[in-house]
Amino acid sequence: MKLNTSHPIFSAYKKNPKLFDEIFNKNGEVKQIYTKLFELYGGLSVEDFVNLNDKAKASFFNQGITFQVYSEAKQKEKIFPFDLFPRIIAPDEWQTIEKGAIQRSKALNLFLWDIYHDKKILKQGIVPVSLLSSSVNYLDQMMDLDPPGGIYNHVSGTDLIKHSDGKYYVLEDNIRCPSGVSYVISNRTALKRALFGVFNHYRTHSVTDYAENLLDILESVKPHGVDQPTCVVLTPGMYNSAYYEHSYLAKSMGVELVEGRDLYVENNFVYMKTIKGPERVDVIYRRIDDHFLDPFEFMPDSSLGVPGLFSVYRQGNVCIVNAPGTGAADDKAIYTFMPEIIKYYLGEEPILNNVQTYHCSKPDQLQYVLENIPDLVVKPVDEAGGYGISIGNRLTKQQIQEVKDQIKANPRKYIAQPIMSLSVHATYIEDSHSFEQRHIDLRTFTLLGKDKEFVLKGGLTRVALQKGNLIVNSSQGGGSKDTWVLKK
Amino acid sequence: MLARVANNLFWMGRYIERSEYIARYLNVNYFSSLDAPHPLSQSRQFVLRSMLFMMGQPVSDPDLELDEEEVFFDITFNEENPFSLINNVNYARDNANSSRDQMSTELYESINKFYHAVQNYPVEFFKKKGLYDFTVYVTEMTAVLRGKIRGTILHDEIYAIIMLGINLERATQIVRIINAKYNDAKLAKGSYGDAFRNSYEWTTLLKCGESYDMHRRLNKKAPNSISTLNFMLLNAQNPKSVMNCLNQVYNHILVLDSSLINDKSTVKFYIGKIRSEYEFKIATEIEDDIQENIDDLLNKLTIISQKIEEEYFNY
Amino acid sequence: MSLRYQIEYSTTNIYENEAEGAKWQFLLVPQHLPEQQLLKNTTVTSVPCVIYTGINAFGFETLMVSSRHSFTEFSLRCTFDILKEELNPFDLPMKDTDSQYQIINSHEFKVDHLSYIRSTSLTHYPSHQELGFKFDRAANILDNLIALNKHVHDLLEFQTMVTDVNTTLDMILHQKKGVCQDFTHLFCALARGNAIPCRYVSGYLHQGVGFTGELQMHAWAEALIPGTGWIGFDPTNNILTNHHHVKVCHGRDYRDCAPIKGVVYTSGTNSTSYNVQVITQQ
Repeated sequence: MKLNTSHPIFSAYKKNPKLFDEIFNKNGEVKQIYTKLFELYGGLSVEDFVNLNDKAKASFFNQGITFQVYSEAKQKEKIFPFDLFPRIIAPDEWQTIEKGAIQRSKALNLFLWDIYHDKKILKQGIVPVSLLSSSVNYLDQMMDLDPPGGIYNHVSGTDLIKHSDGKYYVLEDNIRCPSGVSYVISNRTALKRALFGVFNHYRTHSVTDYAENLLDILESVKPHGVDQPTCVVLTPGMYNSAYYEHSYLAKSMGVELVEGRDLYVENNFVYMKTIKGPERVDVIYRRIDDHFLDPFEFMPDSSLGVPGLFSVYRQGNVCIVNAPGTGAADDKAIYTFMPEIIKYYLGEEPILNNVQTYHCSKPDQLQYVLENIPDLVVKPVDEAGGYGISIGNRLTKQQIQEVKDQIKANPRKYIAQPIMSLSVHATYIEDSHSFEQRHIDLRTFTLLGKDKEFVLKGGLTRVALQKGNLIVNSSQGGGSKDTWVLKK
Repeated sequence: MLARVANNLFWMGRYIERSEYIARYLNVNYFSSLDAPHPLSQSRQFVLRSMLFMMGQPVSDPDLELDEEEVFFDITFNEENPFSLINNVNYARDNANSSRDQMSTELYESINKFYHAVQNYPVEFFKKKGLYDFTVYVTEMTAVLRGKIRGTILHDEIYAIIMLGINLERATQIVRIINAKYNDAKLAKGSYGDAFRNSYEWTTLLKCGESYDMHRRLNKKAPNSISTLNFMLLNAQNPKSVMNCLNQVYNHILVLDSSLINDKSTVKFYIGKIRSEYEFKIATEIEDDIQENIDDLLNKLTIISQKIEEEYFNY
Repeated sequence: MSLRYQIEYSTTNIYENEAEGAKWQFLLVPQHLPEQQLLKNTTVTSVPCVIYTGINAFGFETLMVSSRHSFTEFSLRCTFDILKEELNPFDLPMKDTDSQYQIINSHEFKVDHLSYIRSTSLTHYPSHQELGFKFDRAANILDNLIALNKHVHDLLEFQTMVTDVNTTLDMILHQKKGVCQDFTHLFCALARGNAIPCRYVSGYLHQGVGFTGELQMHAWAEALIPGTGWIGFDPTNNILTNHHHVKVCHGRDYRDCAPIKGVVYTSGTNSTSYNVQVITQQ
């Protein structure tokens, strides 16, 4: 199908031929999978769309699906921008993603077990020990500790992009406290409310089964000797930016949403304070960082955690999900060894591509990086949320020099990758009242339990709302789209 | 249920109910005063003072000239004033936020919408023209919230705790209104017979408690002090009466404490005791010393709340 | 020959404002070792408490104490009866010097003992300074460590009240004064700098024979000598550890071994005092 310029909301759609467009092929025709949707959307006037967009926004606001922004003196509530044009993933394409995500989660789990026990992969020099010895997330406290069920990364968020070659690449694995899954579900709800008419033209997988699978996974890693485990979600509290997600997960699993002050440790068990007295807690899905978990073992002034919790964990009387110390493996430097890690533990070729990575810690690669900064993305190894990233072709001469100096001062802290060209997707832009190309990525959610695994059929498609921007994180002004995985 | 969450739900109920009473007190007093029979009841200064008295922020200086807009703003939208209506709504929503996983989406969404509507209400419009519109909106929204509480969450412990909060707050507010209006009636006496007993303030009192029409239906005559006290304190069929609230509080505490043993240290025992006391009270006895009865009742309601907190929220 | 000790540890904490409950973790109980037997163990607190035994992240027995009562003063007294065997520190299996270095330089050894080779914030040797002590490759590791022990002992002057539990090596090297924790941190840093796994040890010292310590818990280091095992060095006293040292626990630095960690629900200031007595029993 040719792009019909009579569709008013697509009238301003400019196609940059250098970018991989998810909707249009090289000849400017709508790809088969999007035809029906495009037809349906093409029938809407600009006013219709403005209206729908406002309604969707109000729906998020009224549902309290918001996060707090602390600028100036007063806190403000904001919604995570949501786009009404869904991203569609074909069944065979999804199958590769799903298999690849499970493969990575399993390999990372085996890697974590190894580096906290026999350390074979380090002894054999397949992963340099220096990557871990300098990592604050490699916790000595976790040495020789067997987490219930042998699972470390129960919940993994894998960030994928589609490059201009049309292939998926993994950008990073998030196995500490990956967030965003509640948006997958609320995006679906919002889209259904606004454009219910489009759903009956596609056979899309439901995304509402995440919570029951998560509860299944949590119950599968119950401590030894417990029959019916009591699971809870541990939140830092209602002022945390992901609080909506914490309360959503607790509510949809039907478990208590606790704060550190609701829990206490006595006689080597964890209890929560209820109106009927203490109740034992067996599995804690915690959404606070390792260093806040227990002031006796980690940061002493943390009031978010539970004094004595780690002692209970070490004795196997409670399960912490994800296990402490998983941050050692989702480090950007470890990422670059993922192909080797997958081969080492699973004896398989990686299903999902890794981006070619240059380690500034290695002299020859450092040299290459310093000479080719304009063609590279330079990232600090240990920053989350898109901070500290320099994109080579956006830098002035002076900025390039500054980046070089930073790298030279601390080579171990930086890696560099070729500038990946994220695919683009038609996205509704409020200022111009029309659709424009915007870069997108995809975060998938994988669950790993004792003899159980699950990948949410869907995911969070994040959009960089600023024109030309490659950074999709919500903390950097990104939005998101509903993501449809089609049934075979 | 978590003790902290129970505490949040209890206070959510209280703040929702309290918001309603602040709004209605403003509305009824202001609009009743416009054509009140007693010149004092018509006086703006008198009405404004009564409002501040009811809010627990009485003005002691008799010569102080109050500014109407300032007083209205202070009671409603002043975020600096911890007792203001907007802060009550903020507290209600904060409490709902920290217990939102326990309640229905429908209930949470209504509270959240209410919060945003109050936050975004045009303050200038309110000061000039919006008193009626805004106060009616608040009282209607609180009724919607009670409807969602009743109709969308399980009638288990969670419901019992919210309803404990609502009913204790309602009883407290009714007693405070009686207190304020008793005070007003002493000053603005009626024009026939026993001036105090027949003050117009008893009418206002009933209206503040949304009980005027029902009082009429039952008594078929203009309210006086005895009939009003009877109706607002002792008539168990009146959903706004203290007696009705105490009965509800007792029924809800039974959900939390189903033990058959009458342990004298429990709040259940204490509530039962107060409830029995009021079941057999007579309005004329109360009228003999209204002030002392009011103080005593307020004190007992505070003790009930404290005992609930100690027993259930403070593990 | 064996010796019997009675150890008494007591601490008193006074709070400016009333505390509404508290939780403490104490690392005070002598470790069970072949040469160290715990015969008796009693704990008394001034406030009604729940007391039970836990373990810390490195597997050592902790005394977990919690109270839900209100108090402005809390004190705890523990007494331990210990039977200690006398060992000859020089009667040890010893590999030849070359094989010792071969092992410590092996990749596998470095990976195995990473936790006690990598530095922590308290054992971080100032990166702008050259390592203050380098091993003599001609001498075996035990002799080098004995020399290191003396080096640290001679470099620092024992003085209380000039450092605290957060003082970095940067500061200690600058002022060249400190207490047993500081001596031990410096020893650990220099041993690790020479690729020797080294751990911080917390315990009690019997002071009857003129050793330096304080009336508090003592600290020393244990270094791993390939083919021999973990050997204790007390740089504060320039000796190898012996039957006067009663070990409680080890870790990467003081923070893993702090005798008392607490979360007290109160506001305002507080003051803490400790007392340790080690008495020989005939």
